[in-house]
Amino acid sequence: MAMGKQLQTVLTLSGQYAGLITFGIFTTFPFIWALSVALSGDPSNTWLFPRSFIPTDVSLMWFKRVFDEMPFMTYMKNSTLMTIESILGVLIVSILAGYPLARLKFPGRNFIFVSILATMMLPSEVAIIPNFITLKHMGLLDTHLGAIIPNFAAAFGIFLMKQAFEAVPQDLVDAARVDGATEMQILWRVMVPVTGPSIAALGIFSLVNAWNDYIWPSIVISSRDKLPLAVGVFNDLTGPFATSYSMVMAAIIMTVIPVLIFFAFTQRFFIGGMDGAVK
Amino acid sequence: MKNSSSYTGIAYLFLAPALILMGIFTFWPVGYNAYLAFNNYSIADGVATWNNFEHFKYIAHEELFHNALKNSLIYLLIVPVIQIAALLVAKLVNNKLPGMTFFRAAFYIPVITAVSIAGVVWVNVYKYDGILTWFLQMLHLIPQGSDGQVDWLGNPDFALFGVMMFTFWKGIGWFMVLYLAGLQGIPKEVEEAAILDGANVFQRFWKITVPMVKPTILLCTLMSTIAAMKVFQEVAILTKGQADTYTAMFYVYDQAFRNYNFGRAAAAGLVVTFFCMILAAIQFRFLGEKK
Repeated sequence: MAMGKQLQTVLTLSGQYAGLITFGIFTTFPFIWALSVALSGDPSNTWLFPRSFIPTDVSLMWFKRVFDEMPFMTYMKNSTLMTIESILGVLIVSILAGYPLARLKFPGRNFIFVSILATMMLPSEVAIIPNFITLKHMGLLDTHLGAIIPNFAAAFGIFLMKQAFEAVPQDLVDAARVDGATEMQILWRVMVPVTGPSIAALGIFSLVNAWNDYIWPSIVISSRDKLPLAVGVFNDLTGPFATSYSMVMAAIIMTVIPVLIFFAFTQRFFIGGMDGAVK
Repeated sequence: MKNSSSYTGIAYLFLAPALILMGIFTFWPVGYNAYLAFNNYSIADGVATWNNFEHFKYIAHEELFHNALKNSLIYLLIVPVIQIAALLVAKLVNNKLPGMTFFRAAFYIPVITAVSIAGVVWVNVYKYDGILTWFLQMLHLIPQGSDGQVDWLGNPDFALFGVMMFTFWKGIGWFMVLYLAGLQGIPKEVEEAAILDGANVFQRFWKITVPMVKPTILLCTLMSTIAAMKVFQEVAILTKGQADTYTAMFYVYDQAFRNYNFGRAAAAGLVVTFFCMILAAIQFRFLGEKK
């Protein structure tokens, strides 16, 4: 009996790990291959599988060539600036809008909330043409602000913050009101500190989105020296560098690594803070 | 004590940035798009002239648009596949086992990679002598040697499914995280009680997990349906609409930024919006909370 139970546990565990590993191979194989090709000083095995999953003549020469021949650091700087501005924009707009929707009674609240939620059902890409025309009138074409401003006010962020603020105990708010705190003080001193995990999750979510946004920046920004990584590297990889697979893969790895490092440090906030979104 | 009406001013003050930005970049485009759809728009001077439904009449008879719409509807097949797989994977990573953090991160890598960058790798995975060919030849599913070498993204019978596979790979981690957050809301006791009652794995999955994460299922299905209906970034990057992968949204983009026919693009965009609304309504009807 005991043996059977133990055997069953072992079998279940092996099954679970087999599933995890198989799926892990599925999600990571393109990167493993890209990394191996990028590290191979000798590209002759690139298309020989499974040999090409292991680097041939390990060397960093392709990475160096990417640095030398592509304005990689310029793209990186643009991506970093645009990402930081996006995170600030999204957080400020979502926190400010989430608070009254969660905790204040005022006429039109439900209507506004439902309207904001309804935008989740619109295909946002349809807005590309009108927004392009709007930005042209505002003189924001070919600027970083133009490439990120349409993403500041998004239903997902406002919804996430509203859910987070709703979970804050009323006692905290009441105590602050009795002390004569203004609504701005309540939001900043009471609400924001206790909803840290949700704010962190929204921050990481915006970071990933802003860092990876491709279509809209590629339409708005036309000067090469203003392009973010996702657009600049793609344009170069499909244009002047397309001939060398080794360089293509090296550039891809270099683009992925910054986000990967950031995500490794923050992933526990991310999964914890998403609770609000699904309740 | 202040009464509730004294909050009105401050509430709208707080909402102002969101409402102004959404007004300009989300609500205005919907209206302006509808306006453009009924007009001929001249890019040079920004003049729009009423054209008596000309764009709608045109796309109603155009083979290219019909085909694009058909491809977008085929793309919807990915929704159930990705949702069931994401829920199963979330269930798998919801166990407290050594190394779980690593697996969660590994499953999430595609999500945090730019679609353009990941697309470049996948174009090479689908190359005629790329990983997919090697893998299928290894399993003896296609002929060995150069006979079995297919340019996957250039083959109209396969290309659309190839793009779908990419969407699946790219998106599953995102839904996994949402389901994981939902699963962590299920009290441990519920599942333990079911095990004591002798419910097997499948019964527990259908009778406990699925009902308890139903709100998450609705949210995720909705997001993935709309994403599938409006798919085009993947198409633009992987195939540029070649080999029967022209989707409805790709048509919109192509008409606007290659043909510079903003009016016709807007009309097609309106049709896509209409489909999204219908699909969302159907899902609320079937998956929404029963009152």
